[in-house]
Amino acid sequence: MLQSALFEGYDPGAFYDEMFAAPGQPRPQYRKLFQKLASMAPGQFEEKRKLADLAFLIQGITFTVYSDGQGTERLFPFDLIPRILARSEWERINRGLSQRVVALNLFLQDVYGRQCIFKDRRIPRSLVYSCPQFRREMIGVEVPRGIHTHICGIDLVRDSKTGEFCVLEDNVRTPSGISYVLENRLVMTRTLPDVFRAHEVLPVDHYPAELSRILRSLSPRGEAEAQIVLLTPGIYNSAYFEHSFLARQMGIGLVEGRDLIVDGGMVYTKTIRGLKRVDVIYRRVDDEFLDPLSFRPDSFLGVPGLLAAYRAGNVALANAIGNGVADDKAIYSYVPEFIRYYLAEEPILGTVKTYLCGKAEDLAYVLDHLPELVVKPAGESGGYGMLIGPASDAKRIEEFRRCIQANPRNYIAQPVVPLSRVPSYDSEGGCMGGRHVDLRPYCLYDGEKVTIVPGGLTRVALQKNSLVVNSSQGGGSKDTWVLRGED
Amino acid sequence: MNRYRLVHTTEFLYDGPVSESYNEVRLRPIHDEQQSCLSFRLHTTPGSHGTAYRDSFGNWVHQFNVLSEHRHLKVEAESVVLAHEPSGGVADPLLLAEFDSLREELDDTYFDFVAPTAYVPHLTGLAELLEVATRASDGTVQGFAQAASNLIHERFRYVQGATHVHSSIRDSLSIGAGVCQDFAHLLLGMLRMRGIPARYVSGYLVPGSTASVDAKQEEVIGGQASHAWAEAMIPQQGWMGFDPTLGRPVALRHIRVAHGRDYGDVAPVRGVYRGHAGQRLAVDVRVRPALDDEGREQLNESAAPPLVAPSILERPQQPAQQQ
Repeated sequence: MLQSALFEGYDPGAFYDEMFAAPGQPRPQYRKLFQKLASMAPGQFEEKRKLADLAFLIQGITFTVYSDGQGTERLFPFDLIPRILARSEWERINRGLSQRVVALNLFLQDVYGRQCIFKDRRIPRSLVYSCPQFRREMIGVEVPRGIHTHICGIDLVRDSKTGEFCVLEDNVRTPSGISYVLENRLVMTRTLPDVFRAHEVLPVDHYPAELSRILRSLSPRGEAEAQIVLLTPGIYNSAYFEHSFLARQMGIGLVEGRDLIVDGGMVYTKTIRGLKRVDVIYRRVDDEFLDPLSFRPDSFLGVPGLLAAYRAGNVALANAIGNGVADDKAIYSYVPEFIRYYLAEEPILGTVKTYLCGKAEDLAYVLDHLPELVVKPAGESGGYGMLIGPASDAKRIEEFRRCIQANPRNYIAQPVVPLSRVPSYDSEGGCMGGRHVDLRPYCLYDGEKVTIVPGGLTRVALQKNSLVVNSSQGGGSKDTWVLRGED
Repeated sequence: MNRYRLVHTTEFLYDGPVSESYNEVRLRPIHDEQQSCLSFRLHTTPGSHGTAYRDSFGNWVHQFNVLSEHRHLKVEAESVVLAHEPSGGVADPLLLAEFDSLREELDDTYFDFVAPTAYVPHLTGLAELLEVATRASDGTVQGFAQAASNLIHERFRYVQGATHVHSSIRDSLSIGAGVCQDFAHLLLGMLRMRGIPARYVSGYLVPGSTASVDAKQEEVIGGQASHAWAEAMIPQQGWMGFDPTLGRPVALRHIRVAHGRDYGDVAPVRGVYRGHAGQRLAVDVRVRPALDDEGREQLNESAAPPLVAPSILERPQQPAQQQ
């Protein structure tokens, strides 16, 4: 049994602990980290932690929380203890995610194209067509190189019961968070350089170059002339920091809707030297705000006529329009079927048992078991508007019951997944405590292969016993390491 | 005589200068086994670039932009259409009871045309009408649709101004009145609540005088010629039109332009522009029998290069209600 003041009294508890196989017994990939932390002088960890916080503050790495009444912009809390994935474990995740991304892309090609999956009765048309994110405007539109899911941030969780990773949700619209992966790594290497150097951690910093390569490959005028911009909703968006970060990293323009204009079916940026054609838009504006002519007419964030230019093949968008139908939480339960149908393979990663409230028998079960289930709106993301049964009082459960009954198609329910935990610093207690985590790897798809930067964003529910890791709901993050060897 | 020349003019008059106007129109008549669209031309003033595509319902959509400053936008769609003689009815019309056994299949295949929409929510207030229509029908699907259409024609008053372009059937049902857009939506509501897939049809109703054999002169029929009705999907028979406003069968005088789930899918003209100016909308439709040499040209659209100008504020173009 190894000793460390920092971990004195640390209790892995009843959950799968990512670091400890048993009290005082770190798993193989964590052994070196444990030794390094154990060898620190008293107070040194606390000092390092403060340095890391300061680094984030000085660099202004923030995000915005909607509807909480407080100041909107916040620091994204960073926990200094990294989360480490064994190489073999990562390889399996990598294969499983690649498989999933390709299947999701094929599904999107199909539902907006020939719609074979309906004819073959693998998913009811009504389930797809009733999804508010299904964009009829995209039916028959041929997207550049057939790619819909250029960038996916698929959320994984490790189920404490099985110790296995499974997919919690697919984010294939405009997933955010990669900037924190890159910044976390930077701060980590500066704050704990010798700890980091003692490990052979696979790098993550090639992400912007890889994304840039894919965006360039979509250009309708060829790669040499490709003009690429990142379209942001603006400074009030929760991920504006990331938009400006990525634009800077890739050396592309950061624009808002009012900076673009469509003329003669082409998209241009307005510059001081006149109009300049745009070939590829990495858009971080949601579908419904993208073009007021085709979607919400009251939107000021988009570009009128953009969809027409896209339809004509004069501009490429990443991600494609209409992807929300693939990460709808009701359709999620069919993704293993998509993998079998489109790829003739068995899914590598598991999924969480999901009850569709739109189905009569599922609805009855859900309404009978609300206190033990997690209920989510099918079309939302970011952890907004969900019910965690075991953590809710009777009043809130009744509120949800009424919401579900009023619009059953809009809700799904899942059993509570006992998320694994990683030791994280509890600044109130001044000690380490097990905190629940998930994992969001970022997958880039170029139409042939899926590239995933090793690791991803580990989000951590910093409040004791909380299961909600979303940054919008008070979560923080950790640097995530995949080790080259199997140490 | 069932070959017509139609000119549909939409004019927007602005109080002040506007620019960056992006528009999309559904004005080209449908070309299929029931009618032939012999020619179609779209003119805009100021001139503009045009592109066309077919939407997911199969309708032709023309898009054009006017970027330069303007105070007046005129969209003129001219078409020549030949209405075909309908084929005879079926010998053995489908019974409602037989239809019900096909419901599950139809609900999935025609999801869009059975599901409630913003204009056509499923309302318990329609239950009484459904009951009356069921009693009045001869037990066939077609008979039920006809009875529902007749019932709306009898029960609801045609009153211009009683509703507006964004009114749902909640409004027309509560006041007992509306225009053809509302009547069509009401019929959609009744058919869909009975499980019969139904779609909204935007088009024109040629006046009886124009359709008569010796008609020669052009008729100015104003915005009223822009018409709307509904079609029901009757298995083995296909889509069948019912006109609750006219109260008479859909036949050679009905020219179909676009169809969709409700008015929102088929609005003849819609757009956005930049500028602070208020706007007025004028719609005019003229129809006359087509001359012998009309409708022989190729289908084409006008196009002229636009100019670029700076701009201020985005506004939706005022939509026209189908009356």
